[in-house]
This record gives sequence, C-alpha cells and structure tokens, in this order.
Amino acid sequence: MIRVANPEPFVEREDDDMIICRCEEITKGEIRRAVYDGMRTTNEVKRYLRSGMGLCQGQTCQRLVQGIIASELKVRPSELGMIQGRAPVRPVEIRTFSKNVTDVKED
Amino acid sequence: MKRHELIVIGAGPAGLSAAIEAKKNGMDVIVFDENQRPGGQLFKQIHKFFGSKEHHAKTRGFIIGQQLLKEAEDLGVRVELDSTVMGIYENKEVTVKQNGEVHHYKGDAIIIATGAAENMIPFKGWNIPGVIGAGAAQTMMNIQGVQPGSKILMVGSGNVGLVVSFQLLQAGCEVAAIIDAAPRVGGYGVHAAKLARTGVPFYLSHTVVEAKGTDRVTGAVIAQVDEHFQPIPGTEKELDVDTICIAVGLTPMSQLASNATCDMELIPQKGGHVALLSEYGETSVEGIYCAGDVAGIEEASSAMIQGRSVASHVSMKAGYLTEDEFESKYQGYQEALGQLRQGMFAPKNKGRNDFTETDEGYPISKTLLAHGYMTEEELSKFPAASYQKAGIHPVIECTQNIPCNPCQDACHFGCIKVGENITRLPAIDEEKKCTGCGLCVASCSGQAIFLVDETYEEGFASVTFPYEFLPMPKIGDKGKALDRQGKPVCDAEIVGIKKTPIMDKTAVVTMKVPLEYVHAARFYRAEV
Repeated sequence: MIRVANPEPFVEREDDDMIICRCEEITKGEIRRAVYDGMRTTNEVKRYLRSGMGLCQGQTCQRLVQGIIASELKVRPSELGMIQGRAPVRPVEIRTFSKNVTDVKED
Repeated sequence: MKRHELIVIGAGPAGLSAAIEAKKNGMDVIVFDENQRPGGQLFKQIHKFFGSKEHHAKTRGFIIGQQLLKEAEDLGVRVELDSTVMGIYENKEVTVKQNGEVHHYKGDAIIIATGAAENMIPFKGWNIPGVIGAGAAQTMMNIQGVQPGSKILMVGSGNVGLVVSFQLLQAGCEVAAIIDAAPRVGGYGVHAAKLARTGVPFYLSHTVVEAKGTDRVTGAVIAQVDEHFQPIPGTEKELDVDTICIAVGLTPMSQLASNATCDMELIPQKGGHVALLSEYGETSVEGIYCAGDVAGIEEASSAMIQGRSVASHVSMKAGYLTEDEFESKYQGYQEALGQLRQGMFAPKNKGRNDFTETDEGYPISKTLLAHGYMTEEELSKFPAASYQKAGIHPVIECTQNIPCNPCQDACHFGCIKVGENITRLPAIDEEKKCTGCGLCVASCSGQAIFLVDETYEEGFASVTFPYEFLPMPKIGDKGKALDRQGKPVCDAEIVGIKKTPIMDKTAVVTMKVPLEYVHAARFYRAEV
C-alpha cells in the first residue's frame, strides 16, 4: 500500500458534525479527516480515533465507519477488513480482571 | 480450569438447539449466555412462524422458545446465565465473566452461537432519544410491556420492520409510515399486506434525513431517494412522530470468531463479516464451529436446525455418533434447511429484485412491492385469490413463493394443497367442500386467508378475516369495512367471532358487507 501526503486541502462537509461512534463520540468529520491523514483500514481508524472501542465495541458503528472510509477512498467496504476481535469482546470492569479464578476443583 | 467436551456460546435458538443435540448424543455440554434469561430473541417473537410442521410453523416464536427451553431442561443441559464470554484463546480456552470474576473453561469443541446485532443508519439527529432499533422496540413491548412511543416511523421494510410494525399496532401504537430506501418492500408481501389493510402507508424509495427535536424525537423528515439512494432535494416531508424505529438489517456478532483467529470474510449475502465455514459449520480453527445468525443472517427456524446439524458433527468427532449415524442425521437436517432456503426470499436470492413471476408463472404484484397491498386486478391472476364458488369458501391472497404450508394441514377436508415443495403457492381443491370452520384463516402465519360467502343473505356477503387486536369486536358491532389499503369502503356488521385454543389467539372474525364490496372488504374498523 502506497501512502503519500494528500496535496489537496481537506474539504469539510455539511454533515461532518454528525456523531458516528456514539460510545466514543467520534464524528463523521473526524473519520474523514483520519482517512485524509493516511488511515486506510477499519483497524487503523479504530486505533487512531478510538471509534469502536467504547461500550458497544463497534457493534453499532463498525459498518458505518467502514462505509465512510470506503466512500472516502472509493473502495469496497470488504477491502477494508473488520475490527480485529479482541478479548474482552464485551466491556469488563477492571476489578473483574483482578479476580481471576484459576484454582477451581472440577465440578 | 474446568473442562467440558463442548462449550456453546449463546443460549438462543441455535445455541440451545446445539446443546440439546449434543446432550442427547451423550456429550458433556455447557452453555454460556450473557443475558439473565435464555432463549435469545425468541421470547420477543409474538408472531406465528413460517415453515412446515417440522419447523414449528404457525407456532408463535416465544412458544417455540418455551418448548426449546423445556427440552433443554428435561435433558439436563447446563445453561449458565449472566455469563459473558470475554475471549477465546489458544487450545480452545475460554474466559467467562461470572459473578464479577474471570473464570476459565476449556472445551474440546466450541460452538459460537452469538447471533447478530442490528444495523444502524446515520442521519441528522440519529443519536437523540427516541431513535431506537426494532429489537429494542420488541424488547420494550413484548418483554417489558411498555409502549416504545405513541407515533412511530418504521425505517426498513424487511421482515423485521414489517413484523415489528404489526406488533407496534398490536401494542396500541400508531405506525405513521413504513419507509425503505429500496424501491420494493423487502419482506414477505403477506406481512406488508396485513399492515396496509389497517391503513399504514408505505413509502418506498424513501429515507429518513433528519430526526427533529433536541432532547427527544418530536418529528421525522423523510425524503425520496434517487437510484443511488441519495435524497432528492425538494421531496422532504415532515412526519409527526415521537419515535423512529430502525430495522435496516442485522450484522453477525462474529467478534469471538475473529478473536479465535478463524479466517473471516465480509460476505454481503450473509450480512457482514463471518467466519469461513466447512459444510458442517466448522471454522478454519479445528473444533470451533459457528451456528445461527453469527454464521450468516437467516431466521430462527433455520438457526435451530443449523445448531442441531453442527452439534451432530461435533458429536461424531467426539465419538458419540458413528459416521453412519451422523450422516443420516446430517442429511435430515440439510433437507429441513433446504426446504426453508427455497423460494424468492432464499438466502441465495438476497438482494435479487428481478423476479417478475412466481414459480407457477403468475405475475408478481407490482403494487404489493411498491405499496404493500394488491389490486383486485393483480389478484385476479392468482386462482386461489380469485376463487369463486357458491356458498362459503376460502380466498387465499398468498402470491409469493415463501416456505410455508400450515394452511394445508389446517383443513381437515383437504381443501387446500401446497404439496411437497413448501414454497409452492397454496391451491384450492374445488371438489372438496369448505365448511367455513376458519382453521385455515387462523393458521396462516401471513394472515392471507379469508373466507368469503357471496350468498350469505339477499344482497349481502360475508367476509371472514383473521384479527389479532384489542379490543375484540362483538357480534352485532357496526363499523366500516376497510379495503386492502386500509380505506373504508362500506358499512360492515360483525356477525361471527371464533376463538378456539387451536387458533392460538388469532380470532376469526366474520363481517357482513353489501354484496358489491365482497372482493374489496378485507378488514374492519369499529365506528368511533
């Protein structure tokens, strides 16, 4: 994949202030700008912006984010990959992690 | 670490069915579900299902859920609720959040049956309260007994949008409109028709462009779209609604498969990213399987069969079934699945819109696809829908090849024939006498069967139709007969109501209408 700085200035759009990732409050404009800044896959945009890293773990917004990246890059969403599923796939309180039950007798 | 021969993730229709099959074959199986109740989405489904007897057709979804739970309980399947699977690691180790602690389990095999999540579409104001998913609406109505709103805009005319719209009407809400960006109704025509005849308008090639309001929805702006699904300026229309319900499809919840390093692919016909599966449902990681919506969006009936099919493969691999036993079970499940996967709404036909006639060669109604109802002229092309005979007889307004045949079993006199292939349109046997019992009317999951008697009384006919609303009309009530698009056409008087246990709460109501309206009158509204 070749990445070069875009010589054209970033063009703002009317609906750039629309929230796309509700959990992390990421707007359409931020996602478009991330692509302008050189992000090329759903995973890259996630790491750059935290879109899809909130409470729902991208359940609601992943497809929307993909759609925006795809239309900016003029490619098919299937070429962008999905957010890599990572444990925990659901939000878990940090205190839960501190209670790691390893020593259990067979039941 | 606790070891089990099979770990099933998700206690919905696919997961429970898989666990039942594995347990029956003698396996040690444990099921995890993050919810407080098992059953997945089945308990929200208050409508009658399609299919044939072996697919639990004409049984309401939540009753199928109860039957499935009872079967699991009777077999002693262990279902751990409030147990969130956090991740799948090497060697099929699974971490589960239980009682605020992280517990480790290991499965010789794992079946991922995590189902699907709803899609959303972004538009101005889509994140203000009052914009909800159709699934949320169902949870509020059918689990919690709360109306999601009083005036609703439904976005999406697939089966979910249509079924939930009908349930909203049943819950006493007003459905202001059903819109879809596509130029055609996406779900079954019969689901659309039962909404249209109550007066719900359909706007195809329309999208929602704005939710009005600041801290809650106070209105919705819809607009017509061009062939690229872009709103056409100047076509905006504001609807007075307090809730916008989104039913624009589902996405498989496949994160766990991705986390388990299964090979994944975005397959639009399957609704999103899914694990690549063998014919037996196994992923690229040996011993990890997917079943149900997570493997590709279908519906609960096929999810239940898939669950059983996948679990039978697991049982064979674990030595609980011989290869022959597995082969015969597998063939049986594939046949049952094959029956459901036929017709114009089959998964393989998803996105196709080039059907112009039915398998029988009758022209498909364009009005049905554009407005949700059929014209009398279009119905006249279908023998069962335009059937005429002296005395009481059925009229079957079922005009698409969908996998369903309860009407055939409902008639004790063999008056209705679907045949081996359950996507065939029902045909009426003219030799057999109709007694007017109404069992076919109540058994039709699409509410598309009516009984008509042109010789009811001098100058009057009777029209019998299914009715699932409250308050129930009473004999002697007078009101208006509505036509297929919900417009009042004439005066009507209720002359019969049948409600027997076998009809399962679908009342069969008969109204008397002037003879000239017998082919138009299909619904009833009480005079207010």
